[in-house]
Amino acid sequence: MQNNPKKHFSPLGTGLVLVAGFFGLLAFINFGASSYIQRIMIGLCISIILVVSLNLSSGFTGVFSLGHIGFMAIGAYTAAILTLPLSLKLAYLPDLPGWLENTQLAFLPATLIGGLLAMLVAFLFGVSVMRLTGPYVGVATLGFLVIVNVILVNWDSMTRGARTFSGVPPFTDIWWVGGWTAVTIYVIWRLARSSYGRQMMAIRDNQIAAQSLGISVLRMRLLAFCVSAFFTAVAGSLWAHFIQSFSPKAFLFVETFAIITMLIAGGMGSISGSVIGAVGITILAEILRNAERGVNLGFVHIPPVYGASQIIMAVIFIVLIIFRPEGIMGKRELNFSQLFSFTFRRKKRKEVTSQ
Amino acid sequence: MKKSILVTVFLVIAILATACGGKAPGGANAPIKIGVIYNVTGGQASLDVPSYNGAKLAAKEINAAGGVLGRQIEIVFYDGKSDATVIGNAATQLAETDKVVAMMGFSDSDMTLAAAPIAAKAGITFVTSGATSPKLPDQVPDYLFLACFGDNVQAAAGAEYAFNTLKYKNVYLLTDQGTEYTKLLSKYFKERFTELGGQVVLEDSYQMGDKDFSAQITKLKGASTQPDFLYIAAQPDDIGTVVKQFRDSGIDKAIMGGDGYDTPLLVQIPGKGATNVYFTTHSLMDKDVGTDAVKKFINAYTAEYKTAPENAFAGLGYDTMKLLADAISRAKSTDPKAIRDALAATKDLPGVTGQLSYLPGSRVPQKGVSMILVKDQKLTLAAEVVPEKIPAP
Repeated sequence: MQNNPKKHFSPLGTGLVLVAGFFGLLAFINFGASSYIQRIMIGLCISIILVVSLNLSSGFTGVFSLGHIGFMAIGAYTAAILTLPLSLKLAYLPDLPGWLENTQLAFLPATLIGGLLAMLVAFLFGVSVMRLTGPYVGVATLGFLVIVNVILVNWDSMTRGARTFSGVPPFTDIWWVGGWTAVTIYVIWRLARSSYGRQMMAIRDNQIAAQSLGISVLRMRLLAFCVSAFFTAVAGSLWAHFIQSFSPKAFLFVETFAIITMLIAGGMGSISGSVIGAVGITILAEILRNAERGVNLGFVHIPPVYGASQIIMAVIFIVLIIFRPEGIMGKRELNFSQLFSFTFRRKKRKEVTSQ
Repeated sequence: MKKSILVTVFLVIAILATACGGKAPGGANAPIKIGVIYNVTGGQASLDVPSYNGAKLAAKEINAAGGVLGRQIEIVFYDGKSDATVIGNAATQLAETDKVVAMMGFSDSDMTLAAAPIAAKAGITFVTSGATSPKLPDQVPDYLFLACFGDNVQAAAGAEYAFNTLKYKNVYLLTDQGTEYTKLLSKYFKERFTELGGQVVLEDSYQMGDKDFSAQITKLKGASTQPDFLYIAAQPDDIGTVVKQFRDSGIDKAIMGGDGYDTPLLVQIPGKGATNVYFTTHSLMDKDVGTDAVKKFINAYTAEYKTAPENAFAGLGYDTMKLLADAISRAKSTDPKAIRDALAATKDLPGVTGQLSYLPGSRVPQKGVSMILVKDQKLTLAAEVVPEKIPAP
């Protein structure tokens, strides 16, 4: 693959082109598109962060987590409590401890604190649970999700319990989500390509062989789990400041299955796959949601069938799993430098036909 | 690899096309667009489908009678899918692409709060037909109205009816800890019932979606003072199971609750156990004992949808559409701001779910409460209650 490096873009050049392209798209959407498209883009980026970070633990390390939305909840609630304006705090959360009652932070520190808290929780939880393997981890993390939900519902003084947590300032915009998406992808991509990443993948592929090579399974798993929890919580904070009012029931099974579907559709163990899964499913769901309201094709009018979009999505997913059980990308990555040089080469030598 | 990129590009183009399409020409005789969002799929569907049907029926009747201001009403509908992100997107589309003059929808506070702030930001009024939290209007200034009574009103009505009419003094209070609606309902009930002189002998809780209530039942049976009746604040999905298990374990005392009981499941799941159950709701959907407005509504609904109204939420959807039409005709304009002001001045508007007025400064209406008694699996109207005193929201 790398036998003729001259025909390839340098990794740095590729990275710059991708980052520039991504922020160009964001700028275009921010200044040129309707706020509806902007909302979809924000939701899309949050999904990308969630799926890419889930991929680090589930895809690369083989710790199949069903509890990640619990970290999203921790990030969302922590950041929302910290950024809530003081006057609203007095009205909505009168029983907060004094030092919190008088604290109001900016968006970035609140998000970081949310992320770090989730990381700490992931560490404490992971120390015991990361010793488990296979389906047992799934069950244990599912338990974690339920525990987080029960705590949120019952910790009235901090979370307003089951009642709607509202009044969160609308800080999330295209640039915040875009920036965090870029940071998440970059960090997780670098981590996955580092020696740590190779150890994680070795554990995933053959735990006993990895252990025999002296790889500390627990340490690697914990690392993946904690980093993953951090970015999941960041996505939670972004989501909280986007939706502005939510309650604990938003962070349960529906959301869990949504991100797992994106992860599996894109391919576990592939970062570009995660991005493709998140983008594809979000956009497809949005198109189908608009289409199910009835389509007028000029010659034929299809009446609205509500709920059809969910059914079609499910069918597409089943078909995908039958024909590509490893997901769209499997464990491979989109190779952009190859892709770019391929396009350029084709322009130069037109006689070369592609299939 | 190339294929997936092509597919992505195609999807992006398709979504842009969908989002940009559908701009109808404006004009003096163009239909008046009213945005409607309900969750006709997902967890809220059992309340929202009847509500949406009611709203459609009202629009059809208004249009058949010549419309409003000489123009027809056009419903622009989106399914919220019981998902806050989808609801936010749909509300944005209504305000931005469809340019509706007012919006209505939902039977749940969370869902309402996902849509109403977006409407308010665009200067468009949002009327919720069935979300009963009296705290809602404070959370969205100026532009959010309730078309139904608040939970403090129905809880006070229940407390007063139990204490004054049924002469019950001791209550067992069971609360679903999973939703704002149930927590507020039981809080307001307790506040009013103890104020009247009643006593809560035992308080217990469960979580939305629980399927086994044997722990709660054992605790109740072991209580030193036995209650005269049970007040259970429950969600529509759970109430059938709750009543069935309490009845199966031999507890035949009266059970009372709020409009979450207003679902066919209340009678279907417990079967024979569905007796001696009281609940407060918006109106009794029964063509034998209901008011004339209810009878007329039931006939029209049955003719349109080949089924009787499933619950009072159908009536609420219907009334909300009529409420908006009334406001538009009094505003003599389709300017969203004028509609808002006219809506706030609504007085004694008759409806299926009772007369509706907004007092100055309040966006929660003054409405009566229907106390329903379920007796041998049949719903009967026990009383129309206007509570004497209402706990502060």
